[in-house]
Amino acid sequence: MIGRFGLACMAVTGIVGAIAAPAAFAEGDTVTIGIPIGLSGANSVVAPSVVQAAQLAAAEINTKGGILGHKVVLEIADDNSGADGAVKAYNSLIFQKRVNAIITMETSAARNAGLPVVARGKTPFIYTSYYEGRSCSPYLFVDAWVPDQQVATVVDYFMKEKGARTFFLAGSDYAFGRGMLGFTRKYIEAHGGKVVDEEYLPMDASDWTPVLSKLKAANPDALISSTAGGAPNVTLAKQLRASGINVLFGNLAVDEGTAKSIGADATGVYISQSYLTSIDNPQNAAFKAGLEKMFGPEMKTPNDLSVPEYDGIYLYKAAVEKAGSFNEEAVLKALPAVSFDGPRGVIRMDKQHHSPLTMYLGQVQADGSVKVIQVFQDVDPGNQCPKLK
Amino acid sequence: MTSLFLDIVTTAAILYVVATGLLIVFGVLKIINFAHGSFLTIGGYAALVVTQLGLSPWAGPPLALLAGFVLGAVVEMLIVRPLYNRPLDAILATWGLSIVVVQLITIGFGRGTNFVVSPVKGAVVVLGTEYSLYRLLMIVVALVLGGVLVTIMQGTRLGLVARAVIMNEALAQSLGINSARVRFITFSIGSGLAALAGALITPLLSVDPLMGVPWLLNAFMLVLVSGTSLLSLLLACVVLGGAQVVVSTYGNPVFGALTIVVLAAILLRIRPAGFARV
Amino acid sequence: MSEHPFAAGIPAATRLPSERWRIERGIFAVLSVLTLAVVAAGPLVLDTYSVSVLIRSFLYGVIAVTVDILWGYTGILSFGQSVFFGIGAYALGLASTHLDFTSPIALGAFVAGPVVAAAAALLVAWLGFGPRVSPLYISVITLVQAVIFVQLIYTGGDYTGSSSGLSGFDTFDVGMESWFRIAGAGLVIITALAWVFMRSDVGRLLIAIRENEQRCSYCGIGTARVKTLLLVSSAIVTAFAGFAYAAFNDVVAPDLGNFQFGTELLIWVALGGRGTLIGPVIAAVLIDFVSAYLSGSLPFVWQLFIGLLFIVVIVLMPQGLGPALTNGMLRRRAKAVMVAPRLTLLPDPVVGDAARGPVIEITDLSKRYGSLTVLTGVTFGASPGELVSLVGPNGAGKTTLIRCISDGLERTSGTVKIGGKSIGRMSPEGCVRLGLGRKFQAPNVFDALSVADSLRIARAQQEPLSAWRSSDEVRLPAAAMRVVVATGLDQQLGTTVRHLSHGSKQALELAMVLAMEPRVLLLDEPTAGLTKAERAAIGAILVDLVRDHGLCILLIEHDLDFVRDISSRIIVLHQGGIVIDGNVTEVTTSELVRSIYSGEPGAVTP
Repeated sequence: MIGRFGLACMAVTGIVGAIAAPAAFAEGDTVTIGIPIGLSGANSVVAPSVVQAAQLAAAEINTKGGILGHKVVLEIADDNSGADGAVKAYNSLIFQKRVNAIITMETSAARNAGLPVVARGKTPFIYTSYYEGRSCSPYLFVDAWVPDQQVATVVDYFMKEKGARTFFLAGSDYAFGRGMLGFTRKYIEAHGGKVVDEEYLPMDASDWTPVLSKLKAANPDALISSTAGGAPNVTLAKQLRASGINVLFGNLAVDEGTAKSIGADATGVYISQSYLTSIDNPQNAAFKAGLEKMFGPEMKTPNDLSVPEYDGIYLYKAAVEKAGSFNEEAVLKALPAVSFDGPRGVIRMDKQHHSPLTMYLGQVQADGSVKVIQVFQDVDPGNQCPKLK
Repeated sequence: MTSLFLDIVTTAAILYVVATGLLIVFGVLKIINFAHGSFLTIGGYAALVVTQLGLSPWAGPPLALLAGFVLGAVVEMLIVRPLYNRPLDAILATWGLSIVVVQLITIGFGRGTNFVVSPVKGAVVVLGTEYSLYRLLMIVVALVLGGVLVTIMQGTRLGLVARAVIMNEALAQSLGINSARVRFITFSIGSGLAALAGALITPLLSVDPLMGVPWLLNAFMLVLVSGTSLLSLLLACVVLGGAQVVVSTYGNPVFGALTIVVLAAILLRIRPAGFARV
Repeated sequence: MSEHPFAAGIPAATRLPSERWRIERGIFAVLSVLTLAVVAAGPLVLDTYSVSVLIRSFLYGVIAVTVDILWGYTGILSFGQSVFFGIGAYALGLASTHLDFTSPIALGAFVAGPVVAAAAALLVAWLGFGPRVSPLYISVITLVQAVIFVQLIYTGGDYTGSSSGLSGFDTFDVGMESWFRIAGAGLVIITALAWVFMRSDVGRLLIAIRENEQRCSYCGIGTARVKTLLLVSSAIVTAFAGFAYAAFNDVVAPDLGNFQFGTELLIWVALGGRGTLIGPVIAAVLIDFVSAYLSGSLPFVWQLFIGLLFIVVIVLMPQGLGPALTNGMLRRRAKAVMVAPRLTLLPDPVVGDAARGPVIEITDLSKRYGSLTVLTGVTFGASPGELVSLVGPNGAGKTTLIRCISDGLERTSGTVKIGGKSIGRMSPEGCVRLGLGRKFQAPNVFDALSVADSLRIARAQQEPLSAWRSSDEVRLPAAAMRVVVATGLDQQLGTTVRHLSHGSKQALELAMVLAMEPRVLLLDEPTAGLTKAERAAIGAILVDLVRDHGLCILLIEHDLDFVRDISSRIIVLHQGGIVIDGNVTEVTTSELVRSIYSGEPGAVTP
C-alpha cells in the first residue's frame, strides 16, 4: 500500500524534477564524486551493480536539486581490483579530476593502496564494501559490515542449529580473505569448535582443485569461505559442486547477484548480509523501483556491495548539508554525525567511523532467491578504530 | 590417494589439450606463438557466445575450433610469415597480437568475468571416490586429440610433409615441398587447437579477457621441454603437471603455480633437449 | 695507389674518433644542461597531476635505457627487467613496513635492493649465458624470473603484502616537485652516461656480440662474462629506479615486477627504436604519460592502438618509429664524413726459444655422434714455419677436425695441445687465448660494424677496450697490417662491413684473425668464392706469413692446385682418419691418394 503510494510520489517527483532539473543548475556548479572501482579484475562481476546504485543515487539527488544546489557528477575510474591500479585511479581522480569525495567499493588491496593518496589529497573517503575490519584513517568512513558483525551470525547458526563442530576455511590470499578467516577461526575456537584446515589461493587464481582435494580428505562438518568478490566465488562454487562434495557451506563473501550468476551450483549456500532484495520496507521498494525504471533490462541485482554505495552517497549529501559547505574538514567532521534512512534501514557511521547494521542470515534457494532464516538487529561493529573518537 | 591420482591425470590431460597447438606450431615453424593464450581466450568467448545464444553447450568446442582456424590463417599471413627469419621478433609480434585480441574482446564483451554453461555436470564415482565428471571427460578428450594428431602425423601425406619440414626445412624445400603452405596450414591448425582448448576449459573456470595468460606460460614451458614430439609433450604434461598437483596439494598452491615453470627451466639448462629422445 | 684485386671505389675522407668527440661534445654538453634545466623548471609550469605522472614516466625511462642497452645493442631479449625494478621497490617497502624508518634503515634498503637485484641477475646470467645455450633460453629464463618474483611476493602473505602490496609505509619527506627533479635528473644523467658508453669501444663490442657472438668468442672475448656484467649493472640501475619509485609512490605491488610490465618495456623500446637510446626514452615517457590521461576515457582503444602499432613496427619497421621518422631528415647527411681510427704498426715481437718445437699437437683425437664415428685416431703436429694443408674428399671430417681443435667441448676423446698447453674442455675463447686463430669458410664478420671497429675488437685480448672512449688508434701486428694494406682495406677503414665485397670480407676476417697474433692459424677453405686474382694474392700472403712471420698455418682446401703451390706439407683425411702425412711431392705422387680421390672401392683407411 504505502509502497505503491511512495512509488507514485517518486514517479511524479521524478517527472516534475526531470523537467525542472536542467533549469535548477547554474553552469559549472557541480560536485564530483570519484568512484575508483574494479571494472576489470576480480571485482568486475559486481562493479556494474555498484555503478548503477551510484548512478541512481546521483540521478535522484539531482532531480531534487543536487547537493547544496550543486549537480552531482560521478567520475568512474578502473582500479583493476588491485593495488597498482588503485594508485593510478586514485591519483587520476583526486589530482586530475579533483573530486570532492571518494565513495566506492573496492578490494582491500585497492583500498589500502588508495588511502595514502586520499590522505595526501585530504579527500573524504566513504568505503562502501564489507571488509576484514581495522582499517583506520581520519579520512575513511565505512558504511558496510565488518567480521564482528557478520561472522558470528553464520558460525552461531552452524554450531547451534546444525551441530557443526569441525570447520574447513578457504579463502583468497589477501587482506580480506586472511582477515575474515582469521577472525572466523578465533570465533570458532572461542566457542568450542575446531578448525581442521585453513587454505588460501592467490586472489586471481581459479583452480581450486588442491583445496578441494584437501577438503575431501578432511571431511569437516562445515566449509566457510571468504574469497575476493566475484570470480573466485563462482569458480569455487562450481568446482565444489562438480566434484560432488556436499557439505554445509557458509560463504562470507558472496552477494545475491553473484549467487544468482552462479546459478544452480549455489543452492543451499548460507550467506549473511546487511542487505537482501527481499527486505520489506518502503525505501527498499522505492530503491528497487528506481533501479528498474532507470536501467530496465540492464538492471543488475542490487546487493550488499551496491546498496551501501547508494547509502554512502546520501550520507555524503547529509554531511555536506550539515556542514553547510563542501570544505573537506567540515564534511569530515559532519560525517559521523549524520544518518540516512535507506533500503537497509537507518545508517549512521558513528562507531569509530563504522556503522552498526542489521544483519540477515539467509540461504540461497534453487531459483536463486535468498530465504531469510534469521535477523539480527543493530549489530555493533565492535572496536574497529579505538584511536578515532 | 585416488583423488590425488585423478587430480594428476586430469591436470595432465588439460595441460596436454592446451599445449598441443603450441607444440605443432613450434615444431614446424620453429617459433613460439605468444598469441596462443589469446587464441585460447577466443575459444573461451566462442563458448560464451554459444551460451549467450542459448545453443547447446556441445556446440562450443567446434565453433571455437573453426574460429581459431580462420583467425590463425589470417595471422599467419599477416604477421608470422614476414617474420620467418626473425624468431625473437616473432615472439614479440605475437605477444603484441595477444594484447590486441584482449583489447578487442574487452571492447566487444566488456571487462567482466563471465560464465559458461557446462555441457556435463556433476560428479561420478570413479575408483571409489566421487570425482568431477567434466574433468574426467578431459582425459578422454586429451587421448582422442593426441590420437588424432599422431594419426595425421604418421598416417597422412600432410603429416609426412610436416615431419619433413620439422626435421629439415631447407632440404624439404629442395625436394619440392611447399613449406610455406605447410607452415600456413600448421599455424591455422595450431590456432584452432588453442581455441578448442579454450572452449573446453571454460566450463571449469571462467571467461574473461585475460584468461589465456597463465596457460600461455605453462604451455610455453611444456613445449620447450618437449621439443617436437607429441609423445614427449604427453610425458612432460604428466611429469610436470603431476609435480604441480603434488606441490599444490601438499605444499602451497602458490608454489604449485610455479612448479611447471621452474622445473622446466632447470630441466632445459641441464638437458637442452628436454624430454625429446635424442 | 696501386691496383688491388680487392679494393673498390675511392677512399672516403675519414675523421678520427677524438676529432668527432671534440666537435660533438659541445652539443652533447649543451643538450644535457638544457634538458636538466627543463626538468628543473618543469614543476613550475606543469600541474600537480602531470608532475606526479611524469615522475613515474621518468623512472620508467631509466629502465627503458637499460632494456635498450641489453636488447637493442647487445641482443639480449629480457622479459624480466621489471623484476629488478620490483626488487628495488620492495626493498624499501619491506624495510619501511617492518622496521622503523630511520636513516640507517633507509640507507640499508637503498643498498639491499640493488644487491639482491644483482644477485638475481647473476643467477639468471649463470643459467642463461652458459656455453651452447640458445638465445631463446635467456628470454625464457627472464620470463620465468618475472613469474617467480610475483609468486614469491604472493607466498609472503602478510609479510610482503601478497596481492595487496604494501602501502602507506613511512618514506622520505620529499615534496613532489623535488621528486620530479630527482627522477628527471636521474633520467638525463643515465641517458647521457649510456650514450657515452655506447659510443665507446665497449659499446661497439656489445654490438659485435649481438651481430656475431661466435666471432667474438673466436676473438678471445669471454662473451658470457661481458653479458653477465651488463645484466648485473643494468639490474643495479633498475633497482635504484625501483627504490625511488617506492619512495615517491608509497605503494608497492607485485605488478611492478610482473612479466606484463616487462613486455611493456620491450614494447616501448621497440616503438622508440631499439639501439637508439633516445628513442626508447622518449617512447617510454610519452606513452606512459599519455596512457595516464587516456586510461580514464579511452582505455581499451588506447591499449589496442599501442598493440597494433607494436605489431606494425615489429613486422614492417623493426628499427623502430624513431629511426623511421628521422631517417628522412638524416638522409641528406648520408654523405657525412666517416669516422675511423688510424692504424699503426706494432713492433715485431721477439721470437724466443719457445718458438721452436711443435706449436700444435693433436694426439689420438676422435669424434663420435652416438654410434656414428666421424674422426678416429687423428694424430699429428705442426711447427712454426709450416703451411700444412688438410685435404680429403667430402665427408672426410676436415671441418669437424677444425672444430674439435678450436673448441674444447667438441671432441669425444684425445688431446689437443697448443703451444704445449692442453686445451682440455675450454671454450673457443680459451683456445684462442692459447694462441689459436680460426678463419671460417664463409666470412664470419660483424656486418654492422666498420672495418676499423672489427679490427679493434680483434685486438681486444691484447689491448683492453675502453668503456667511455673510442680510441684513435688500432695497433696491428705486421702480419695483419700486411693483409690490410695488400687488400686495400686500409682505404676503407670507415666503411661498414656489410658493404664490402665478398673478397674484402674474407680479407678482413683474415686480418682480424692475424691481429690476434696467433701462433697457429686454422683456415677453412680460404679461397672459397674468390676470383683467380684474389686467390693468387691470398696464396702469396699466406706463404709470406709462414716464411717471414713464423706462423704455423693449418689449411683446409679443395683447390688442389692452390694446395700444391703453397703448402709445405699435406695431410690427407679419409673416412675420419689420416691416410697420409708428408710433403707435397710424396702426397701428390701417392697411389693411395689417387685412388681415394677417384673413389675406387679398394681404397681403405689404414
